[in-house]
Amino acid sequence: MSLAIFLVTLAFLIVLQSAIPFLLKRTIVFGVTIPEEYAMDSSLASFRRKYSTIIFLSGAISLAALLLWSTNTSASENQLVLTGLAIQSGLLLLSMALYLYFHAKTTKLKQINNWGYGLKQIRIADLQSHAKDSMLPNFMYVLPMFVTVGLIVYTASQYSLLPDQIPTHWGPNGQPDAFSQKTPFSSIALLLMLLVLQVMMLGINVATKMSGVKLNSSRKKSSQLQQLAFRKYSSWFLLLTTILLTILFGFLQLTTIHGTLQNDTVMMALPLAFLVLMLVASAIYAFRVGQGGSRIAVSIAEEDTTSVSEDDMDDYWKLGVFYVNKQDPSIFVEKRFGVGWSINFGNPIGYFVLIGPIVLILLITFFA
Amino acid sequence: MFIQIEPTSDIPIYTQLANQIIELIARGQLKGGDTLPSVRALASDLSVNMHTVNKSYHELEHKGIIRIVPKSGAIINPIVQEGITNENSRRIIEQLKPIIAEAIVLGMSPEVIQEQTTSILITLKGE
Repeated sequence: MSLAIFLVTLAFLIVLQSAIPFLLKRTIVFGVTIPEEYAMDSSLASFRRKYSTIIFLSGAISLAALLLWSTNTSASENQLVLTGLAIQSGLLLLSMALYLYFHAKTTKLKQINNWGYGLKQIRIADLQSHAKDSMLPNFMYVLPMFVTVGLIVYTASQYSLLPDQIPTHWGPNGQPDAFSQKTPFSSIALLLMLLVLQVMMLGINVATKMSGVKLNSSRKKSSQLQQLAFRKYSSWFLLLTTILLTILFGFLQLTTIHGTLQNDTVMMALPLAFLVLMLVASAIYAFRVGQGGSRIAVSIAEEDTTSVSEDDMDDYWKLGVFYVNKQDPSIFVEKRFGVGWSINFGNPIGYFVLIGPIVLILLITFFA
Repeated sequence: MFIQIEPTSDIPIYTQLANQIIELIARGQLKGGDTLPSVRALASDLSVNMHTVNKSYHELEHKGIIRIVPKSGAIINPIVQEGITNENSRRIIEQLKPIIAEAIVLGMSPEVIQEQTTSILITLKGE
């Protein structure tokens, strides 16, 4: 069973990873800004194609090999999963190496051809961007916290009902397979982790709202619509994740309190449903919204602006993936290679929003 | 209501920003009572330092073009209807003079200067 789950996830990763160059804006190729008029250059197109083909083929071949091996071998499921993990990390390393290779090639191509050279570089903003922003309000992220707090109070009131061994880990079949001694702290450790996650999601929403709406100067109106849509769907996606996490963790906590709730099918189906929903939601997000909303169709006539060019910001993007800009107060910025958000390494608040919760969760696991 | 800046220009960014906002008011796109985005919002949209935007808002406030109200932000003052004050008039002419002088020195004929001024007025006031 765990192998099947694993293979589906792996297949999903392969498809998504190989599709990345086609989910991105045309004007940012392997982390390098390319002026609109050269975005369809044939060598750039071949870079994109090569990247996708290499990842897809090597992924598909290793996945097929793993499948074949799993049917013709007496190897244990654990060994198979381990091999799968190795394949997964191998693919990740391969895509990183390919990215760096093509990033260097694209940078060189831009230099040789003097793309964007001599054009006046400008940055653009709309004074009303934030008034038009329709990200979900922060209180929506506070609501699930009430569920958690409620469950904590409920757990405390039912403390005597709790078993002597509190489950702390659940296996792929949905059954608990690791326990810790019952203490007031360990009895609510799971809920505390959930609370930390919920606070982190709230923090991400707040920080994203405060981050800039970066427009493309050559397509200012359509890029604004796409940016705003991207922000909106990002916050929906984040809220969906929060709700699903709350349901999953809340249910696990309830089954710990009331052993009778334990139904083998439900215990197995719920985490699976969680996984499937998350995969489907990320696929929709990646393929329908795309980088910065670049896959959302907008039909708006733009005035021609060929005498100026978008400020490429390439200097702030180390290796085309790490945004380091101490001037920019944005906490999160849109990813350059991939769909979603990345942190501004020049602004330390981002570290706290992301690393703080991880440290807290590790501390909870350690002491529970 | 778009504004644009040119980070590599000789003109400092805060001046560019202030100029763009003044132009939007002159064109009537920003009206008295409208609020400008928060310093953080505009700075992050343009990927510039918050001090830059702050400086530009304070320059506008100093000139009496906006007022900064704690908690509600920067609010546009209505266009002055009762005529320019002597002090402001003196300052503007002082700033205009070296530009016209430079135009003459660089060979722009008085007719062209007149023409250009009129055409700028037309684009701003839409008359």
